[in-house]
Amino acid sequence: MLKALFERLRQGFKTGAFPPAAPNLPPDFRGRPEIDSDITAEDVERAQSVCPVVGALSRDVEGAKLDMGRCIFCGRCAEVCGKIRFTKEYRLGVFRREDLVVKSGEHGYEPPKQTDPAALSLKRSLQLREVSAGGCAACELDANVLGTLAWDMGRFGIRFVASPRHADAIYVTGPVSKNMQLALDKTFAAAPEPKFLIAAGACAISGGLYERGNLPATPVLYIPGCPPHPATTLEALLRFTGSL
Amino acid sequence: MTETKIFETAAEANAFLDSLGGYVEPKAVTPLKGESAHEVAVGPVHAGVIEPGHFRFQCMGEDVYNLQIFLGYQHRGVEDAIAAADGNRSRQIALAETCAGDTSIAAATCFAEICETRDGKHPTDEDLRLRELLLELERVANHVGDLGALAGDVAFLPTASFCGRIRGEYLNMTALLCGNRFGRNAVVPGGMRVALTDEKKAKLAEWISRVRKDLDGALRLMFEEPTVLERLEGTGVVPKETAEEIGLVGVARRASAELQGDVLSRALVRRMEIDEAHARIASLLGDAASCRVTAITAPHTGDAASCRVTAITATHPGDAASSRVTTITAPHPGDAASCRVTTITATRHGDAASCRVTTIVVTVNAWRGPLVHAALFDPDGKLLRYKIVDPSAHNWQGLAYALRGEQISNFPICNKSFNLSYCGTDR
Ligand code: SF4
Repeated sequence: MLKALFERLRQGFKTGAFPPAAPNLPPDFRGRPEIDSDITAEDVERAQSVCPVVGALSRDVEGAKLDMGRCIFCGRCAEVCGKIRFTKEYRLGVFRREDLVVKSGEHGYEPPKQTDPAALSLKRSLQLREVSAGGCAACELDANVLGTLAWDMGRFGIRFVASPRHADAIYVTGPVSKNMQLALDKTFAAAPEPKFLIAAGACAISGGLYERGNLPATPVLYIPGCPPHPATTLEALLRFTGSL
Repeated sequence: MTETKIFETAAEANAFLDSLGGYVEPKAVTPLKGESAHEVAVGPVHAGVIEPGHFRFQCMGEDVYNLQIFLGYQHRGVEDAIAAADGNRSRQIALAETCAGDTSIAAATCFAEICETRDGKHPTDEDLRLRELLLELERVANHVGDLGALAGDVAFLPTASFCGRIRGEYLNMTALLCGNRFGRNAVVPGGMRVALTDEKKAKLAEWISRVRKDLDGALRLMFEEPTVLERLEGTGVVPKETAEEIGLVGVARRASAELQGDVLSRALVRRMEIDEAHARIASLLGDAASCRVTAITAPHTGDAASCRVTAITATHPGDAASSRVTTITAPHPGDAASCRVTTITATRHGDAASCRVTTIVVTVNAWRGPLVHAALFDPDGKLLRYKIVDPSAHNWQGLAYALRGEQISNFPICNKSFNLSYCGTDR
């Protein structure tokens, strides 16, 4: 007992200051991309040729598009095409699927603010039930990490709970494999109304590298990444309930 | 460890790939009969933030008589997707990395080594050093996380909290080196996408020495606490002979072969591997000369026992001079069936291309145990089939065995002591 206390004193207080302080991101962190407006068709083709994900990069009359809902943030496109850059913007969570698409020529990004009263009512207590549905477990691991004392999301009233009966939202990760479809549907059905669906990671949002099964409802929060950085996830959850 | 094998027909090659093994789950739920017999079924969705699997505890009174493990919920066709993406290596390696997220670096290394063997183009020593460094960080991060989780499961919260945080530090070190906490998108066939600069090296060395103190403190607390030891010792025993018979690999095998094979042994093996990995990291951060030692390639740290590899002659990629003839006994770790003597000649360097159906098998000493990737190419170099054997695939049987005669309440610590990958097994 005493030994544990001494060790705690020696290690000191370790919970990060984020938020409100800025998170500690690695120097090579790849956040929200930016595409120059003068990107050409050839540029896009060159970037597409190295992109591991089908459909992440596209081009139409409006210009080039990068779908963060599909992107795994590998940065290969930026390596071959100077018109695409990855910024340090980690605030990637959005409330509508279409907001995940970055268009060429867009600058000055500000993350969307929550206006839905149902979501705002969860400001002081958000209980999540995670369902791992056919992914690689990286999203699960980096969601779990938010519970550790380095991030301590419990201080904001956010928790992962054991039963869908106790949950405000189902937090789905993975591309919803065939064999998890029923389990996911049943888990979502078991949560009491009103309930939300949160899609975290490229797989849950779009299938990412894989083909996705069906989501039981339209998500109200999309957290892109492969996997999303814990700072991205925590910021998205807080902004979802209007705390940020 | 890389091997190339040449077959006359695709059928033979496919049979060889099948023989590399995988998890064979019980055929059907066989009900247990008797007055005090009852069954408890859990999953696929579990109470924690973990992956899906279905467990059926068949109990006689309080004791678990048998545990049936049903997997496959995570199956999303990684192998087929890799084969279908032939020609698009960035897609293939990204798929390999997402086979099991906590083993991304090892998986990318496997895929890269297959390509390197195929092309005869090998990475520089500097790239290999970074690759290995990431691999060791992956090992430490996961072992630290598992020890913390184990402490949490016996309600010893100090170590649980410390280790949860410290695991994150090691993930952040990985991110320092390559930008991603899981080491994603860093390894590519023929080298690395990022360089290990002196600045990063210095920062990493300083960071590790700082975190190491916290880690040692946290682990000492746990392993000196009688109430923790009391729970771990003698729980979930897999005796040495059984471990060999069912072909356990990696941490679990080492715990049974070198120690008592209980939960405590598996925890201690992790602690030992953490120490060994730190020693390795220190030497990798040190002088260039020591980079040649083959920790990635084969019998790293005691895993030699589980690899059953008897004679390996220079299988380290990049050591071109000695890679001509390789004699390997029992190419597949831990799989008793395929452990008969096989002699494989003429590796890598171009020969492969000109031959018939060629299989390249790569084994990387991942943190759970030997991770095997195998690729089958037709004479034109087209990828016909890709196979991944996660070390977990060999160990589920061990978990089921460990629980025999235990109470269900001991399942969490038995499970944590193995910490097997559902997605890696299901692919
Ligand atoms: S960063 Fe995204 S869009 Fe660019 S190549 Fe990688 S997956 Fe494709």
